[in-house]
Amino acid sequence: MSRRNSTMEIQAVRRRSRRGRVLPYLLLAPALVLLTGMVYPFCAGFYYSLTDYWLQFPKRFHFFWFQNYTHLFGRSLFARAATFTVGYAVAAVTVQIALGLAVALFLHGRIPGRKAIRTLVLIPLMIPPVISALMWKIMMDSTRAGILNFLLSFIGIDPVNWLGSPHEAVVSIFIIDTWVNLPFVSLILLGGLQALPTEPYEAARVDGAGAAAMLRYITLPLLRPFILLAATFRVMDSLRIFDVIYATTMGGPADETTNLSIMSFRDAFEWYQIGMGVTESIVLLAMVVVASYVLLRMWHRSAESLA
Amino acid sequence: MTVLSMRRQRYVAHRATRRSAGAAQLFRWHYLRNVAVVTAAAALVVWTVFPFLWIFLTSLKRPPDIISAPPKFIFQPTLENYLALAIGDHAAGNASTHPDFPSFYLNTIIISTGAVALSLVTSIPAAYALARFNFRFKNSLGYIFMGFRFVPFLVFVIPLYLLYLRTGLYNTRIGLILAYQLITLPFSIWMLRSFFSEVPLEIQEAAQIDGCSWLGTLLRVILPLSMPGIAVTVILGFMFCWNAFDFPLMLAGRQTFPVTVGAIQFISYDQVLWGQMAAATIVSALPQLVLSLMVQKYIVRGLTMGAVR
Repeated sequence: MSRRNSTMEIQAVRRRSRRGRVLPYLLLAPALVLLTGMVYPFCAGFYYSLTDYWLQFPKRFHFFWFQNYTHLFGRSLFARAATFTVGYAVAAVTVQIALGLAVALFLHGRIPGRKAIRTLVLIPLMIPPVISALMWKIMMDSTRAGILNFLLSFIGIDPVNWLGSPHEAVVSIFIIDTWVNLPFVSLILLGGLQALPTEPYEAARVDGAGAAAMLRYITLPLLRPFILLAATFRVMDSLRIFDVIYATTMGGPADETTNLSIMSFRDAFEWYQIGMGVTESIVLLAMVVVASYVLLRMWHRSAESLA
Repeated sequence: MTVLSMRRQRYVAHRATRRSAGAAQLFRWHYLRNVAVVTAAAALVVWTVFPFLWIFLTSLKRPPDIISAPPKFIFQPTLENYLALAIGDHAAGNASTHPDFPSFYLNTIIISTGAVALSLVTSIPAAYALARFNFRFKNSLGYIFMGFRFVPFLVFVIPLYLLYLRTGLYNTRIGLILAYQLITLPFSIWMLRSFFSEVPLEIQEAAQIDGCSWLGTLLRVILPLSMPGIAVTVILGFMFCWNAFDFPLMLAGRQTFPVTVGAIQFISYDQVLWGQMAAATIVSALPQLVLSLMVQKYIVRGLTMGAVR
């Protein structure tokens, strides 16, 4: 009797555990179904990138392997767009991390009205990025009617053609992008600063270390995982920055602010060259994957070495 | 005793001289430091708040005031721009070209609500599975969901555009709700997962000992205890939908444009309606401002999909 009981129990446990094995997949199923609906376009897109699909003549449709890719690497605009994409991401993120660190250290210190300032600093995060870009576009009017040029005239600077001339346009986009994303970086770093242990600082103070030395030898090393995490998110987003550029310069002037997203968008939706457009975005995807792999590994290692 | 007290006297005298000598200098240093701190704080606030204020002023100006050089700080304010927005397509004489802002606004609300609701329903069980069960591919599935946050949207959008053209989902709200799942679903899964795993295991085990099935634990323990987390996820997801620009730019038409794409329509070939565009930016940013004040503490957590608490 008791033996039978125990076998029944074992069977029950087994049955339950078998159900336990299937159950998580069942729970995940709806989400997976929804997202595989989205994986299909990705596969279709990869297929299109191997063809000369042109929306103007959808019937004339050739499969020609990697010709789009080889053709792409020969285009001079591609070289410029790829350089701009990578260069912009590296430069923008470096400056934004440095500025964000400064802001975070500032907000971490004792300042009057700290709570109110912290809330106000969040404002750019709350506005849709395109809307922010449009706001700046209004302020960056090239004549003296633009408020930025008006303010600059007080320190004797002639009106700047913010979005209309090649070099200034890059700087303008950087300014807008920084306005939008600086709060994000500084909030991550501020969170990191608030989580730091206090003992190393006490020890350093006993040893007579100055503020600069503490920042260099304690704060920065301990903050490394947070810096890397912020950098990871920012690099990903800067590599594929689209909305700010679209709303302000559309890649111009003279293709100076054309990155791979803009190039792909214009090829696909202005020239209807679907195959080429998808090819460019897949090259961009490859860049993002490589960058995220490297950065996430660095982040993982630094987070582990501190733990 | 005497030695000690002598030492103490010497020490007190030493400190007194030091204080009197350095006091003026110290005071000046403190003063300078305070001025620097206040200046920096002011600069920071101006940097973040000024664009918003200036656009608000612009939205209250008539066209001649907007393009006047130098810019006007004092002018006769008007609500014309907001009225033009609110009236939308019909009353404006140039009916076919004028952006129809009220319908853009309605579109945004419908699409965002639909997208958030759909992804909430599907992500609650998924997040529960990822937070509380052990199974094969658990981590890789999690990272695949995370990966959607980083994929350049064009990879999806171009083929999706063709698919939508073929299936008739192009320029429909349903199509946009489905496309928005790429934004909200991975986000909701990761956020809810991080909130669900904060529920102490002991409570869940106690419930299971009392005879709760997996469904019972979910409904009676996990969900009630993570209600604040769910609220945060819903609000942030709604904000991300509100922010979305890339997907609707390519998958929506004039009838289904949300505010983000709609605001750009004020730039046309022959003219830019700066005043109305400013008013549109203010009106489309306002709900965001209100919502985000509610979830201030969680914004960074949301933007990093729960990676930073």
